[in-house]
Amino acid sequence: MGQRLRKNLTGYAFISPFIIGFLCFTLVPMAISLYLSFTKYNLFAPPRWIGFDNYIKMFTGDPKYVHSLKVTLLYVFIGVPLRLGFALFVAMILNTRSRMVGAYRTMYYLPSIIGGSVAVSIMWRNIFSDTGIINGMLGFFGLGPVSWFGNPNAALFMLITLSVWQFGSSMLIFLAGLKNISGEMYEAASVDGASFLRKFFKITLPLLSSVILFNMVMQTISAFMTFVPAYIISKGEGGPMDGTMLYSLYLFRQAFMFNNMGYASAMAWVMLLLVGIMTGILFKTSKSWVFYESGEESEPWRTIKSNGLSIIFSSAGLLLSCCTRYFGWSSAPSRRAASYL
Amino acid sequence: MKKRFALLAVPMLLSMLAGCGGSNNNTPDSAATSAAGSQPATATAASSSDPVTLRIAWWGGDTRHSYTQQVIDMYEAQNPNVKIEPEYASFDDYWKKLAPQAAANRLPDIVQMDVSYINQYGSNGQLEDMTPYLNKTVQVGDVNENVLGTGKIDGKQYGIPLGVNVLGFHYDPALLKKAGVDSVPENWTWDQYKEIAMKAKAAGLYMDSSMAADIFFNYYLRTKGLSLYNTDGSALGYDDDALFSDFFGMLSDLIAKGAVPSQDKLSQNKGVIEEADVVKGTGIGIWQWSNQYVALQIAVNRPMELAQMPGPDMEKGLYMQPSMYWSVTANSKNKEEAAKFIDFWTNNVEANKLIKGERGVPISSKIKESLATELTEPGQQVFKFVADMEPKTSPMSPPVGSPEVVALLTDLAEQMNFGQITPDAAAVQFRKEASEILANR
Repeated sequence: MGQRLRKNLTGYAFISPFIIGFLCFTLVPMAISLYLSFTKYNLFAPPRWIGFDNYIKMFTGDPKYVHSLKVTLLYVFIGVPLRLGFALFVAMILNTRSRMVGAYRTMYYLPSIIGGSVAVSIMWRNIFSDTGIINGMLGFFGLGPVSWFGNPNAALFMLITLSVWQFGSSMLIFLAGLKNISGEMYEAASVDGASFLRKFFKITLPLLSSVILFNMVMQTISAFMTFVPAYIISKGEGGPMDGTMLYSLYLFRQAFMFNNMGYASAMAWVMLLLVGIMTGILFKTSKSWVFYESGEESEPWRTIKSNGLSIIFSSAGLLLSCCTRYFGWSSAPSRRAASYL
Repeated sequence: MKKRFALLAVPMLLSMLAGCGGSNNNTPDSAATSAAGSQPATATAASSSDPVTLRIAWWGGDTRHSYTQQVIDMYEAQNPNVKIEPEYASFDDYWKKLAPQAAANRLPDIVQMDVSYINQYGSNGQLEDMTPYLNKTVQVGDVNENVLGTGKIDGKQYGIPLGVNVLGFHYDPALLKKAGVDSVPENWTWDQYKEIAMKAKAAGLYMDSSMAADIFFNYYLRTKGLSLYNTDGSALGYDDDALFSDFFGMLSDLIAKGAVPSQDKLSQNKGVIEEADVVKGTGIGIWQWSNQYVALQIAVNRPMELAQMPGPDMEKGLYMQPSMYWSVTANSKNKEEAAKFIDFWTNNVEANKLIKGERGVPISSKIKESLATELTEPGQQVFKFVADMEPKTSPMSPPVGSPEVVALLTDLAEQMNFGQITPDAAAVQFRKEASEILANR
């Protein structure tokens, strides 16, 4: 054993769980899924090579797929800006000096900790149900009950509000960014008689722009992959009238309800491409609106940029794991199953 | 210092690796299973006291899990050489787990099968033909031929039904009277159904909560001597799209007229029995399977009754629906022992006193009799209803269906109910897309 290898053995030992995990549970499944995307595979018969048929069918022979793409884009383009705006708003409030600020920060972050979970989605369903609290409040103001699950557009809106409500992680990052802006600038601006709005647009936003970019990229990626709320709230069907048929939910239905594994794999790869393109566009346009104080990109940013590819890959890995997770037994009896008998 | 770190790293690493490999935990288990299993397989029936491990899988809710475990415990106590490992899940998760296991040839010895899946698993060679075991290991002398036949595909018995259900209308007679109708007519027709529905509407009540598209359309087609799929499942089983327009036109028309809740409202109540109109006293009844009656009756908590399906030609349309089957898998190493357990389930009186018909009315007439005194009032109603319907039903083979076609039909029904597509246009679209799906399989 070479001297160097021996010296580094501890390091290798420590990092090996990740490397093994990455190889076994990310890279190999990804390679297999790429192969499967060119085949027709229903799990019973061996995969049959069909070339690009899956990809062609997606855009020419499957209106539902195109619809799910539209729903997802709506969800991303409405949901992400709303969420970021809200996160920034709350971050600015929490950036003030008040006595209870620690407790408030914890409280506002809580929804994100429990965010993606099934329980929250079920709670959300109850809040917006026929006789739920939202309709109760609307009734108080003399507005008729809205059927949030009956109306396709309302159902998507409800999903978006859920995503906006889970603003905590981006808020924390904004908060850190806000803390980094030195108070002297605001003081100087105040002396010059700048209004609050002027200070916000001329100091806060420019100095926060790199943080905004970071949040936007991360949130866009995760919004594209949203699955749990749509699955729970629509009981796995994407209804009503496919109003909540998000991309990953349709992918899941193709894979695990209809056993079209090849088609679902192809969908996953198109999704990867889409997320990659979106991220690329964000980085390209960022040059014109992201402002770096030193005149040059800050060190962490250069790292993140050069690792853009790995961000994309890890998002694809997440997507895959979101699917493979469903191979596991869940002994939790679902209501639907109980009523199915 | 450095050395100590290295020493620490090893156990940590090991434990992390163990954690990562969690999903592979089955391997030693099933290796043990097949090792234990190969013994009796080679020695066949000669030594039935050799230790055997059977894996068994089912779907269901909490009640079912607990009594099934009790039945398994009872069986193990009487057969000390047999060890049974249960695997259970909810309906949706069950099939997501079973399909990859089938792909890996690692199915449990006994699996619970559903009507919509048995043909797929059977024709793909995953299930054992039980015909040679009938009346040898599995006694079926007390079982009606029409009932047993529901597990037969192309003359091969791929599953033993656990119980049977019959479609019907479960309603509150007091509310029906409120609508000005004394009782559901003996042999009612679709026209009479529409008439009563309009009377319900006039009395400020809903008639029902619509019908599950695939199940009831199939029934409607059967009354015309047709079915949703053709025999080998390569195409639809009917040629005249007018049948589609007639049936779904009737359903969406009743919604448009307000005799049945709007689709908007129906989507909200999906799946939760307590929110159903019949429970709240605003709807007269529900169209569903007979095994769902008991739970509904408990939720409604008022006297209820079961009515038969509307006709004409109800006898041609109606069939005994196996609630589910036990199937022995082709990759099982202990088929004989698996069959013994199925026999225990089908014919043991004490076991069935635990089961109480929860998986549908038992198929053996002897068990049915011995259970009669054990049942609650609604349970007895169901047993009687199924017994009354049994002579009126016609044979049924599990369809070569496709969950994708069912999803398509459900979608279209939803769109028709929303008034977004006419039944005529939906009929054409259904034929086009369903034919593509079926031809492509």
